[in-house]
Amino acid sequence: MRPGPILPEPSLSRSLRVQFNVLGALIMREMHARFGRENLGYVWLFVEPMILAGCVATLHHIAGHGLPGGLAPFPFYVLSYTPYYLLRSIVTRASTALEANAPLFYHARVRLHDVLMARTILECAAVLVALSIFLTGVGIVTGNWPRDPLGIAMGLVLMALLMHGIALLVASLGVLGAHNVDRIVHPATYLSLPASGAFFMVWWFPAEMQQMILWIPTVHIYEFVRHSYYGDVVPFHYDLLYLGAWILVTNTLGLVALRAARPHLET
Amino acid sequence: MLRLDGVWKSYRVRGRDKEVLRGVDATVRKGDAIGILGRNGAGKSTLMRLIAGVEHPNAGRIHREMSISWPLGYGGALHSNLSGADNVRFVARIYGRPVDWTLGFCEEFAELGEHMRMPVRTYSSGMQSRLALALSLAVDFDCYLVDEMVAAGDARFAGRGREELMARRGRAALILVSHSEELVRNFCTSAAVLQDGKLHFHEDLDQAFAAYRAL
Repeated sequence: MRPGPILPEPSLSRSLRVQFNVLGALIMREMHARFGRENLGYVWLFVEPMILAGCVATLHHIAGHGLPGGLAPFPFYVLSYTPYYLLRSIVTRASTALEANAPLFYHARVRLHDVLMARTILECAAVLVALSIFLTGVGIVTGNWPRDPLGIAMGLVLMALLMHGIALLVASLGVLGAHNVDRIVHPATYLSLPASGAFFMVWWFPAEMQQMILWIPTVHIYEFVRHSYYGDVVPFHYDLLYLGAWILVTNTLGLVALRAARPHLET
Repeated sequence: MLRLDGVWKSYRVRGRDKEVLRGVDATVRKGDAIGILGRNGAGKSTLMRLIAGVEHPNAGRIHREMSISWPLGYGGALHSNLSGADNVRFVARIYGRPVDWTLGFCEEFAELGEHMRMPVRTYSSGMQSRLALALSLAVDFDCYLVDEMVAAGDARFAGRGREELMARRGRAALILVSHSEELVRNFCTSAAVLQDGKLHFHEDLDQAFAAYRAL
């Protein structure tokens, strides 16, 4: 039987449903397009961050660098690398996201922001699954279990939100004619690795330097994630309100920029 | 209803802004069948893309109070790395349509057989436009945008596409862009001429053709 006609969206509940449909469809499509249906298919989505994080953590483990405060090194580096993987995958793909997906905008219901949101959700989910498998493995092998798994998950979601705001800005710049934004974004994400807080903790530094380091928003994420994993064994420094302000500001600016970029997107 | 309110669109070509549309006003209601006539480069396709929401105006507003198809006749709406079937599933999900029903409809209407499981990039242009048309008919829009003809594909199929679109004229609106008088006469009840970035409406088809010929 032929289904009834589709209606325009006058009510809030209907537009929410449309948004939900569109996001779901975009996520499924992105998964089909990126990983295909054959071979290991979707498994790659989780395996990719796991291989990278696993190798980095193993290298450090073999090198035998002890960590101040006697923190277990393997989970430390896994928790260094997985949030960074999230940072990099959300931001670097943003510069080409809109032009590469031009066919999507043939559907009036698909807005620019939907495409970027679908990517962020997908990346975040992949990293969350990879990290859960990892930490379960670490727990089984070493007997070290996270003190507050929900806090770790929340830290990753906060990372995704912050990077989403930056991705919106990068994507808008790409459309507004700064085609070489791509060339800057890639080295910038690599250079940001040492500054991001992935490989150091705030309490390792003298007090006056701590104040400077705490201007960097991602440092707060790393401190929060580690606190959630290890519990109160060493001093942690973070302020989730400060981080929240960054998320709010980057996302607001990003949405404004995206709106400004919209008429310039050529398909 | 669909309303265009002083819509402007320009493109940057070699560092200079080229104005394609300079204040287009229009109102389209359900059941309207409007032909848009214009010379090559008059901005017909640009207008379609703006109405569909593929691109956005530099100034002015487009109020869409009905669901509007993508411009039919381009392959643009399909993703070339996905199979025909995955494209159908994707579009069905976007518009909240039952996926299996939509797939069945498209398989039957587009007659692609085994090709439905192959990536769209392996399709001929005729196959692409057949699938795009089938998909848009399955979604059942309130307003169809038809660019220069769905005539790509074989003659028999063009006839079927035409029949289906004609059958919907009562409940759906149709906007047809063309430089062929014959097509407009077959499909449309009124026509407008796109000239110098503005849209001039004529209630009477003959009047519109006269204005078009005088360009």
